[in-house]
Amino acid sequence: MAGPTVIERLVADVARQIRLRRAEFYGLRGLFWGAAAAVVPLVLKEPLGVWSYVGAAVLLIAGAGAGGLWGYLMRLPLTEAARLADRGYGLQERVSTALEWAERPDRTPIVEALVADASSRAEQLGARRIIARRVPREAKLVPVPLLLGLVLAAAPPIPLPQGRLPSFSVSREEDEEKAPPDRSGEMQQAERKQPTRRDPAQRVDVQERNLTPRLGGGGQSQAGDLAAVFKDTSLGGRAPDFNSFLKKGDERLRMLEQLDRIPDLQSDFTQNQTRMVFQKAKSLRGGLDPNKKVSPEKLRELLSEMERLGRKNGAGGQQGNWSGDVYEGMEALEGGQTDKAMEAMERALNKMRSIEERGRDGKSLKGGRESDRRGNRRGGDKGAGQQGGGTGDEGDFPEGEGLLPGRGKSGSPKGDATARLRGNPFDVGVEGESRAGRKQGIDTNMLGRGAQMPSRMQYMGVLGQYRKMMEESIAREQVPRDFQGQVKEYFQSLDER
Amino acid sequence: MAQPPVSSQSQEQRVTEFVNSYQALRAEVGKIIVGHNDVVSQVLVGLFAGGHVLLEGVPGLGKTLLIKTLAESLELSFSRIQFTPDLMPGDIIGTNIIVEDAQARKHFQFQRGPIFGHILLADEVNRATPKTQSALLEGMQEGAVTVSGAAHPLPSPFFVLATQNPIEMEGTYPLPEAQLDRFLFKLRVRYPALEELTEIIDRTTHVRQVEVRRVLTGAQVLSMRELVREIPIASHVRDLASFIVLGTHPQWERAPETARRFVRYGASPRGAQALVLGAKVRALSEGRFNVSVEDLRATALPALRHRLILNFEGEAEGIDVDDLIGQIVENAESMTGSGKEVFLR
Repeated sequence: MAGPTVIERLVADVARQIRLRRAEFYGLRGLFWGAAAAVVPLVLKEPLGVWSYVGAAVLLIAGAGAGGLWGYLMRLPLTEAARLADRGYGLQERVSTALEWAERPDRTPIVEALVADASSRAEQLGARRIIARRVPREAKLVPVPLLLGLVLAAAPPIPLPQGRLPSFSVSREEDEEKAPPDRSGEMQQAERKQPTRRDPAQRVDVQERNLTPRLGGGGQSQAGDLAAVFKDTSLGGRAPDFNSFLKKGDERLRMLEQLDRIPDLQSDFTQNQTRMVFQKAKSLRGGLDPNKKVSPEKLRELLSEMERLGRKNGAGGQQGNWSGDVYEGMEALEGGQTDKAMEAMERALNKMRSIEERGRDGKSLKGGRESDRRGNRRGGDKGAGQQGGGTGDEGDFPEGEGLLPGRGKSGSPKGDATARLRGNPFDVGVEGESRAGRKQGIDTNMLGRGAQMPSRMQYMGVLGQYRKMMEESIAREQVPRDFQGQVKEYFQSLDER
Repeated sequence: MAQPPVSSQSQEQRVTEFVNSYQALRAEVGKIIVGHNDVVSQVLVGLFAGGHVLLEGVPGLGKTLLIKTLAESLELSFSRIQFTPDLMPGDIIGTNIIVEDAQARKHFQFQRGPIFGHILLADEVNRATPKTQSALLEGMQEGAVTVSGAAHPLPSPFFVLATQNPIEMEGTYPLPEAQLDRFLFKLRVRYPALEELTEIIDRTTHVRQVEVRRVLTGAQVLSMRELVREIPIASHVRDLASFIVLGTHPQWERAPETARRFVRYGASPRGAQALVLGAKVRALSEGRFNVSVEDLRATALPALRHRLILNFEGEAEGIDVDDLIGQIVENAESMTGSGKEVFLR
């Protein structure tokens, strides 16, 4: 009987088709990766020379060849080939069943008929390809590394980056030496050579000066220091423009070093008038050359500001503290004694500073309720003027006062509310929210600590149980479909909360 | 590969006879029943697979007529039980009655019920109480009934065809899962198409009388059932059947997402048996000697639709079990490597 031979021949033919298709598939995939790898030696064309072309070609061929070989030699069970033969030829599992059952000891007599049937059908089949070609995704991308490789092969070698930074100092010297004498005029040559050469120690000194915060009194910047940076650029050859840029740049750098001319945009002058006076006094003293004299106009303006500040902060308050010094300073200024006026201003400033610091300390250390603290601060402010910088730290309950009716500051006969009740209004609360559904309704949600109470947690715990029970009972009880949907929506609304 | 002994011609002859008998029976039923080709085929598959069939459909679609016609086409005894709420188990399986013999001595004698027939039509089976429904269980599964401690075997072949109405659920007792599982297939009888309806009118309102011949004996049916079990099935096709049945279980990690979401209980191993047996009958009926993937696809719906129980969410969403089974079959095919990429593995 030729049955088995025919079936085996058919399966072998299909297996060969599968191997070829696999070889194509994995060969294309290998070609892509080989082409991608071939780019590397082409990039390294400068050090490798001709060998880069050889390496690229070898990688390309090896990738495709290895992929194809891998695909061809992949494991292929005969049952798999038989299944594909059944599918490809529309044999409805005849071949695979016959192949499998013909060898089994428990085969039934009807298997013989099956083998005969499968063999006769296999004999009638014409030779044709039943395994469709599959193209891997990488195949569409193969032109990309191939084109890149061709471009790299045609282009000059790519200079490889060196492992160290260029030495600016040497370059600058070389630049100076190589600079053509007739490229710019005499004046530009003079400007370029004007900066004196510094030794390395001086260079470090300059760098440190540039990195440290600039505290005013800027020194002379060195024009031409940046020339080396532009050594290899086209700007380096354009001497007139470059020099003018350097000059302007130096002027701008000098301006930046004068801090007293630059407004401090980060500080908020409107926040505190006292601080504003401090800032003005500081700028009046520190921003200028110590050898220069203080401008009487600015000093007068500052003293007027201090006097106005004292008057604004309350009649008989802080004014009584520093106003005497301010008046004394203004008189000295009108008498032409600027030094005395400065001394008086310094005294007034010291008093302002001490009051400010006391107020800050008292604010941070005060205890008690917020309303009491506010009241004490107001009292302290008042006391500062009367008692010569009184602290105002009487405490929550000054002598003779308390929270009992008629004895405290509270206007209410019952006294203020206790702190416990006013501690956090959201400790326990119930919030209403509208509920989406067929009927308008309001659901209540518990917020705050109350939501974590055992009763609430228990509710959350049993909700899942009820849902499960509901599902089981509805599935068991033959509930009409409309009602099932309604019940389900209800439980879903509970879950969404 | 070993050479099988050359006796395939006799086997081919057996298969040919099976196909001829099947076609003859199909033709006889077709004389009376218009349309419903799938239903008729699946009923015959159930008959030759040795199982029982549950037909579901609204009244007037010809369910009872189909079964009666099938019974008339076979040389087999036929019983019909109209299930009602007051039907008692004894009304089905029979009971012991006191009889007097010639010597005037009284003794109990078992009076057989209508279940003792080859073909049993259980009409509107869901209208009887669960107690009465369960009277069918032993007979369907074991082929015997026990009365007063005495087992009474049922005639062979024994074939139960039950009908039920999916609407008018009030006053009914839906079959429990255990009893549903006893049925090999559950078939849905749908409304006929326009051409079929026209043909029905012509046939049933005319004076012409159609004679139905008896084309198969009980012995032939039993012989055909034996042949069905000889049909080989390839391992990958058998695996596909297993994957399909396991895919109905929401607990199975490789089950499709829809099954995990909407199914409460999946099919039992009886479902897998029904699937493969039905596929074998289908293969034989087409003259094939082996089971194909197409056979499994065609058998999956009737074999599994009553064994797959939806959960609440599935019921509420109105999920169609047939659609769900279709997805499960697709998922199983992808798992067994029936996809196009199989040659790349």
